Amino acid sequence: MDRAAQRSTAPEASGRALRDRLTRLVAVGEVGVLLALVVIVVFFYVLEPAFLSERNIRAILRVVSFVGIIAIGQTILLVSGEFDLSVGAVAGLSAVVSAKLMTALALPVPVALVGGVLVGGCVGLVNGLAVVKLKIPAFIQTLGMLFIGQGLIQLVTNGYPVYPLPKVVGAIGMADFVFGLGWSFVFFVIAAVSADFVLRRTVLGRNMYATGGNPEVARLVGIDTNRYKIGAFMVTGMLAAVAGMFVMADLSSGTTSIGSGWELTVIAGVVVGGVSLFGGSGTMAGGLIGILLLQVVTSGLVVIGVNANWQQIAVGLIMVIAVGLDVLRRRTFIAGSSAQPVSEPGNSPG
Amino acid sequence: MTDTRAPQSVIECRGIVKSFSGVQALRGVDIAVHAGEIHALLGQNGAGKSTLVKILNGVHADGSYSGEILIDGKPVRFGSTSDARGHGVGYVPQEIEVLENLTVAENVFAGQTGLGGLLVSQRALQARTRALFRDLGLTIDPGALVASLTSAQRHLVMIARALSFSPRVLMLDEPTASLSGAEVDSLFAVLRRLREQGRTMIFITHRLPEVLALCDRATVLRDGRVAAEIGREDFDADRFIFAMSGQRLQRLYPHHDAPADAPPLLSVSNLSVQGRFGVNRGVTGVSFDVKPGEILGLAGLLGSGRTEILHAIYGRIPYSGEIRLGGQPVAIRKASDALRAGIALLTEDRKHDGLLFNLPVGANITIGNLGPLSANGIVRGDKEKSAVLAAMRALNVKARSPQASVAHLSGGNQQKLLFARVLMSAPRVLLLDEPTKGVDAGTRHEIYRLIVDLANQGVALIVVASELEEVIGLADRCLVVADGRVVDAFSREAGSEDRVLRAVAAAQAAASAATAGVAARTGNSKA
Repeated sequence: MDRAAQRSTAPEASGRALRDRLTRLVAVGEVGVLLALVVIVVFFYVLEPAFLSERNIRAILRVVSFVGIIAIGQTILLVSGEFDLSVGAVAGLSAVVSAKLMTALALPVPVALVGGVLVGGCVGLVNGLAVVKLKIPAFIQTLGMLFIGQGLIQLVTNGYPVYPLPKVVGAIGMADFVFGLGWSFVFFVIAAVSADFVLRRTVLGRNMYATGGNPEVARLVGIDTNRYKIGAFMVTGMLAAVAGMFVMADLSSGTTSIGSGWELTVIAGVVVGGVSLFGGSGTMAGGLIGILLLQVVTSGLVVIGVNANWQQIAVGLIMVIAVGLDVLRRRTFIAGSSAQPVSEPGNSPG
Repeated sequence: MTDTRAPQSVIECRGIVKSFSGVQALRGVDIAVHAGEIHALLGQNGAGKSTLVKILNGVHADGSYSGEILIDGKPVRFGSTSDARGHGVGYVPQEIEVLENLTVAENVFAGQTGLGGLLVSQRALQARTRALFRDLGLTIDPGALVASLTSAQRHLVMIARALSFSPRVLMLDEPTASLSGAEVDSLFAVLRRLREQGRTMIFITHRLPEVLALCDRATVLRDGRVAAEIGREDFDADRFIFAMSGQRLQRLYPHHDAPADAPPLLSVSNLSVQGRFGVNRGVTGVSFDVKPGEILGLAGLLGSGRTEILHAIYGRIPYSGEIRLGGQPVAIRKASDALRAGIALLTEDRKHDGLLFNLPVGANITIGNLGPLSANGIVRGDKEKSAVLAAMRALNVKARSPQASVAHLSGGNQQKLLFARVLMSAPRVLLLDEPTKGVDAGTRHEIYRLIVDLANQGVALIVVASELEEVIGLADRCLVVADGRVVDAFSREAGSEDRVLRAVAAAQAAASAATAGVAARTGNSKA
């Protein structure tokens, strides 16, 4: 076999091994985003040293802790081959519902918070069932849910913020553990580490990648792909609810604008981090670094005094470039899932 | 009528040689198709028919093969399919490709609905279509939606589409594959009419009765070469069968003795599968037993229902009938039911429903088998790695590491990897669909060896393969499947490729005779 022959020539083999290792490094994905993140941070720091001031770093991390909680769910969902546009509306809806539960119905705060999480879980369940059982494309189903959620927010609140909330809610929002970061950051870190562990190390995670990579193959090896997808939708909904309620605690108010516009920020961020829109590839670390990167860019542009409109343009450009790179990477490194046999080395000639 | 054929060739191939990554598909093919004839292109699966068709059709562009194509005696080069069409080669693919939500007329002129202008005039389109249909003797309403048509009518629409370019020669790729007997007759009526109008056609098929009933001349391909060119006056089923099967390179199959009399491990009785519209005709009332340690072969042509039988047993498609395992009836609704019962399936198409390209080699092997390699739902990295390495060694999977990408493995290594996956659950019944498809000669032999070893360990195996020689060489017992039914059965040494082809031809002839009374000159049905 010529494969053995290739291995026997030493210099070629070591060159090949090096190229292989580099290839794998780039193919991993998050290394690229991490490098990009470092470059961008240095860039802004050189232009304006205040960019790395304690206040600014804290501000960035605070936003990341809210959006990042949703990004955890979105990453899991994308890995399983689906995605959710309704997360922002779900965050807002869960926040105002729990706020109403603790004010209008005067339920104990923990019960009201659980109620908010249940709202998120239920929306996720509906999304999942519609996509899996009724075969409605996730894009349509969750876009519809985005509108429904926004409408429900207005219905629940009549358009007015729910205020005042019990004192303990404000206390949750004001807590300061490290570096001025509170409960939401702690929750974000714990959730991120657990989700990363689940995706990388558990049977559940592996089956999730199989489901997103090729649902037909996953079914053939005995994986109940429907259950995995519905579960991923529910986790996404519940995490969105948690994020929404953390913002509510932060503001000490059930504001109707909570979560508005987040769906795109979250998807843009995790996609920048190498989580594929086509399903089955990407890591938790990558997705969260992507979120951080977008936030750094937005914040950096503010710090160096660029017109706010340019921030939007920058985010858009970065996302398009990142997805372009993702497509390119898939074609080069994960090729074969497309129709053509890209390469079949090792066939003995003749 | 065909004795007056003109000696001049409309389209001619000279010395066409084409290989795919080292495997030769065509080894020097010469074909000349004369004006005004229906020329049959015959051959078993893998004989090179579809490769030749793709070359003539411009799918394999000029330069990717060697040899020459001449149209009306002048050499031509096709860089693309539209190039081929521009040179007057019309092609009707086997799969029906229609736009269901558009009208018949829009489908016929798809891509040229402007008829040269900028705006689409429905009236002009339908008038043109009506004129075309009148020539063909068709009565389909040009204004009807294609969604309302039967599969035969859809096929006629596709033929009309190909004819809308006024081709010099029309290629029809297995046009009867998804048609019923009566529908075949109406299609043939159209083709005969086209011949009377002087059209030249190439008719690709593996159904002998149709060639006998319709064609004027036939070229039989075997192993990438022209095995015979037969004129109408010499048409004879025996001759065709001899040319198609012939003697080829003798392959060696590992020795295996059928197991001694034992109660069956897997019994299938009266298994039926609904045919899917326009795709296949399903499976009707199939029954058989497989003993532990036995290799059962399902021989039959593409689309005969052999794959559907495997898929039904594995729970991939709904079925009716009974499946018993070790005497106990089992209800298999989905793949996980089959796996739990100890049944495993190796699918035919690695790229489509075998490999997970987003996961590395190791995870591809262990996917679905992670139960014993994990504790409390957490994958034990060390256990997984040693299991993967053991499986790779046992099956001789050559990959740089368990972390390597599966996309860069050779076809043979990919196939062995999938064997490793299905064998990891230690199945009692193993269903193999085309286990050596796209695999080099060396690996092919390794896979034969493996199949026989598994049988010796008491696994019951069912093997489906397009190459008849392979099924016959491997299997202790063969069932011949045609049109979703078992039409013949024989044990090792009692059968041959000849016998399979004969049984299939007889079944097809009986089917068409039953519906339309086509007098087919086939040989005796029982060998």
